[in-house]
Amino acid sequence: MDKKINLTQLADLLSQAGGMSKSASEQFVKNFFEIISQSVLSDGLVKVKGLGTFKLLQMEDRESVNVNTGERFTIEGHQKISFTPDADLKEVINKPFAAFETVEITSEQADTLASMNTVSQLEEESDESTDDVAKEDKPVQDKEKATIAVEDVPLESGNGNDNDNDVKVEPTVKEVTQKRGVRFLIKLLIWILAILLIVPLALYLFWPLIGNSVLEYVERDIKNRNKTEYVADSTGNVSKPVKETVPVNPQPSKPVDQPQEKPSQATPAEQPAQPEPSVTVPAQQQTQVQTTPAQQPSKPEPAATTPAKPAASSVTTGQGTSGYPAVKLNSADSAKDLKDFTEADTVNFIMDGDLTVHTLKSDETITKLALKYYGTKKLWPYIVKYNNVKDASKLHEGAKIRIPVLKAK
Amino acid sequence: MNNKQFLTELSDRCQMSAEQAARQAQNLIGVMENLWQNGDSVSLSGFGVLEVKKKNERVSVNPTTGVRMLVPPKLVLTYKPSSLLKEKLK
Repeated sequence: MDKKINLTQLADLLSQAGGMSKSASEQFVKNFFEIISQSVLSDGLVKVKGLGTFKLLQMEDRESVNVNTGERFTIEGHQKISFTPDADLKEVINKPFAAFETVEITSEQADTLASMNTVSQLEEESDESTDDVAKEDKPVQDKEKATIAVEDVPLESGNGNDNDNDVKVEPTVKEVTQKRGVRFLIKLLIWILAILLIVPLALYLFWPLIGNSVLEYVERDIKNRNKTEYVADSTGNVSKPVKETVPVNPQPSKPVDQPQEKPSQATPAEQPAQPEPSVTVPAQQQTQVQTTPAQQPSKPEPAATTPAKPAASSVTTGQGTSGYPAVKLNSADSAKDLKDFTEADTVNFIMDGDLTVHTLKSDETITKLALKYYGTKKLWPYIVKYNNVKDASKLHEGAKIRIPVLKAK
Repeated sequence: MNNKQFLTELSDRCQMSAEQAARQAQNLIGVMENLWQNGDSVSLSGFGVLEVKKKNERVSVNPTTGVRMLVPPKLVLTYKPSSLLKEKLK
């Protein structure tokens, strides 16, 4: 087993088999291989019946990459001796594994097989090419798979079949029982690891399907809670949660709808239609208006405006005026207001004249401008609208951007 | 160089008849075959090493049809030329 046989040993064996003297057989073996190596060099091809073909191959120049440095370099063309064993000899040598056949794999089997590969390789390394052990080995795998299969059926079922296909050796288990315990533990560990890996992966893959709906639900829930709390806190005398008021009075929404859609032209049209809310506290309006459209995307317009009405009528405190810039309001309000406020959508303000003209520098974006002038990134759409920017990504350095003064509605 | 040429060359060098050389060559190959079947390797200075190596099973894919095949493990006789012989190559 695994011995290295040299010339003299080979000659000894030959003399026993062929009935030649030791010296003669040694000479013979020496000549035998000398002729092969010499003629390969001179002729480029030597065929020896029963052994195989030695061939001299010319390798072309080829380019390769140094793995460490990433440099490209050429491997220069060289010659190479190839050896192809005779078909008969090949068959004889592969006898221990002759029972195996190439098997077609279906897709499910392939996946489970990929995870099994590491296991089988480990085992095969440990007992090399010895067919005896190999024969014992396979049935053990079978048995263990069967036991695991009881625990998690869906994963294992495909695998069991697969193994049956390519292992045709009948089980000859005798003294493998001690080994089995250890191997079983290892395999169990590997399966647990595999499952731990697969579950997050599956979650990650299907997140777009599951995740969105979950997120939406959670978001809605939170906003609902925020809104109702807020109304109760600030106004005190609003008994019903805003949610209920939304569908009840859709009529007043009409006049405000149009200015919302086109806020740039809205200034004159809105004032007569809605004189009251402009005097009341803008922050409250904003928060209420802002939460509703996000929450009920199916009917954004009535939802956006209706809660503003009851809030406005019930609250009489005139903290801010209609012309008050929205940004400055921020500092006056509480932290919670600010937070709600920064989530403001594009519907709560009207643009009234230039605040300033900004010349765009490199690495500045519209959102950065919004952050700079209004204190929040969320208000960038106003700048875009005010400047009639068609594609914000195509703005170049030095472009003059007019920054509108924003007024709360 | 084919088998016939090889055997005549061998018989010339060993001063034996062509038939005898052929028979001895058969014997030699038979002896080596037995060694390889036992997992031994034949190593000859100036020539190289002939040994049996185990190739692991692998999954191969037919590039045109995409069919995946499980290729079984196999034992293959390999030849590695000695460094002496390699130096003579260009």
